[in-house]
Amino acid sequence: MPVIIHADKCNGCHGSNNPPCIRMCPGDLLMKDSKTGKILMRDPAECWDCLPCVKVCPQEAIEFRLSYQLGFHTARLIPHIHDTRDFITWELIDTKGDIDKFTIRTKILPVELDEKVEGVAAVDFSI
Amino acid sequence: MEQNLIETDILIIGGGTAGCLAAVEVRERFPNLSVTIMEKAHIDRSGCLAGGMNAINAYLNPGETPESFVKYVRFDSCGLVREDLVLSMSELFEYCVKKVEKWGLPILCDDKGNYIPRGRWNIKINGESLKPIIAKAAKNAGTKVLNWVVATNYLVVDGRVVGAVGFSVRNGNMFVVKAKATIIATGGAAGVYKPNNAHDAQHKTWYCPYNTGAGYAMGIRAGAEMTSFEMRYIGLRVKDTIAPTGTIALGVGAPQINSKGEKFMATKYAHIGGDGAPTPYRSHGPLQEIKEGRGPVYLDTRHITSQQARDLKSAFLDMYPSMVLYWAANEIDPSKEPVEVQTTEPYIVGGHTQSGYWVDVNRKTTLEGLYAAGDVAGGAPYKFVSGCWAEGVIAAKQAGEYAQKNAFAEIPASLVHKEQDRAFAPLLSFTSKKDGIKAYDMEVRLQKIMEEYAGGAATYYEVNEERLLVARRRLATLPDQFKHIIAEDLHELMKAHEVIDRVYVAQTLVEHMLYRKETRWPGYCTRTDYTERDDEKWLNFVNSRRDPDTGIIEMLTRPYVQIVPGDRYKPR
Repeated sequence: MPVIIHADKCNGCHGSNNPPCIRMCPGDLLMKDSKTGKILMRDPAECWDCLPCVKVCPQEAIEFRLSYQLGFHTARLIPHIHDTRDFITWELIDTKGDIDKFTIRTKILPVELDEKVEGVAAVDFSI
Repeated sequence: MEQNLIETDILIIGGGTAGCLAAVEVRERFPNLSVTIMEKAHIDRSGCLAGGMNAINAYLNPGETPESFVKYVRFDSCGLVREDLVLSMSELFEYCVKKVEKWGLPILCDDKGNYIPRGRWNIKINGESLKPIIAKAAKNAGTKVLNWVVATNYLVVDGRVVGAVGFSVRNGNMFVVKAKATIIATGGAAGVYKPNNAHDAQHKTWYCPYNTGAGYAMGIRAGAEMTSFEMRYIGLRVKDTIAPTGTIALGVGAPQINSKGEKFMATKYAHIGGDGAPTPYRSHGPLQEIKEGRGPVYLDTRHITSQQARDLKSAFLDMYPSMVLYWAANEIDPSKEPVEVQTTEPYIVGGHTQSGYWVDVNRKTTLEGLYAAGDVAGGAPYKFVSGCWAEGVIAAKQAGEYAQKNAFAEIPASLVHKEQDRAFAPLLSFTSKKDGIKAYDMEVRLQKIMEEYAGGAATYYEVNEERLLVARRRLATLPDQFKHIIAEDLHELMKAHEVIDRVYVAQTLVEHMLYRKETRWPGYCTRTDYTERDDEKWLNFVNSRRDPDTGIIEMLTRPYVQIVPGDRYKPR
């Protein structure tokens, strides 16, 4: 279960049809639940653990965990993007709950909350 | 089904490392030409660079030249590379790196403003956002981007590639793109063999699991000449996470040791460079240790300080964050215990090894109107990120010139209809039949055949004639099974094409492995029936061409040409 979406934090990016996390997944694995408007993971086994969805979520609603066969509960890794978008602070929590932090330079580009899909007539791709 | 017809001067299939740079280059050199990128995901985070990069691994640090780079790459590839291709890409490293730095990529510099090397050909970067940075440059250059359009085949008229067909994984629209020239830049192929991890970690692979050989397969189906598929890439990676080891080995200087603590590379492979031996030997060496009962094998990091361990973690966060979480989740401190390593599933790539389209120095393929760049292009290993950029630049220049001189072709409607039927068949099969094969089932079948008969990890990647002939026979049945594939939705339709494409790649690969009757790259393709390197007979490229009408794969060789003088088995 590499990526967990916390339904209490996810707001579906205010009705966006094509929110950033869905767009940034290189494997086409995230989709919108048409009933709740929140994001669902299609198949955890297809996840590459690459984290663009985690980093881009404005609500920090997507959490990254290793699948249990690779790492013990409840170690976690949470990226926090600085408001200046020039730094990212990674919060690393080990199995005992001890926290370590790493702040690294980067250049995060702004991302729109929605984006049009190319095509003649876009059908609803949510489930 | 909605159909979109798009006309573009240049079509780039695959908006990754090579594709984005190619788009910018076309627009800068030929402002009158229109450019369209067809991309199966979203170019902001698609392909190999989705997670980021922490180094540029092909760069000429002070004192190095294109010639010294060729000597090293030739040594690393056991004496056989396309020197013309390696030379031409290395001449553009500086141009590309400077360009991307200008777009905003943070590159680590010392007090005097010089790049900080990490090994002979590497410089350190903070590349977590490398992909969005180059994607933005491509968009700013005026490129039309078709995100979520999965390319299924070229449009070929009178032997010339005049565009391509794809479908949108978002809305099921079909896209017919007419182009004067086409650049293929879809990357290599993962998932041809059984992955290192199973179940919910099956995609915990080093190579991007969404790179499934589409560009190779389209070329194979259209009769393009392919080279060196038998030089599979089997990398030495960190156990379980399959994270790159260069960050550790080059970052802090960690030798390989076996379970007895012996530095086996330094002792047994001293004559070819010890821990600096050619890359295939750095996988072959530890495999022999494990095979002979001296595993596990580690990178010895016990000498590093706790600050160095922190720096190591920071470097991984820029590229492969799960490595850092893995250490925390398994109570591993790399400064106190060595880092266990393993070898990957075999990948087919043109950027680390040299599997791909046979191209000329302008990156023109053997198909008229088609150019190749990046992992999908063959003959030039050791490309990594900057070499893919360079090839994108070279291909852009040539494709642009071709587009200036040639008009759009007329595309017969029957050609489009035929591909439309093929592309959407799995969806229709589901609606009409319900019963059939899921893409996943065929993927597992393919991986089982390849793993067991075509040199998978379980057999230490070793092959022989008899096993390969079984693989050939089993694979031969799969194309007849394509008609049984069913897809419930568009995501599954994409998966269906991903496995169909990999079957074409696998068939070509098996023919290549059968044909080269020597062991040039131990570890990558060890033949137990031809255990030695044989320069007299096999100092040449093994190429293939599948006849589009009969489906028969014809094998041939192309001569190796030495351009840079010197001993081909020495790194300098």
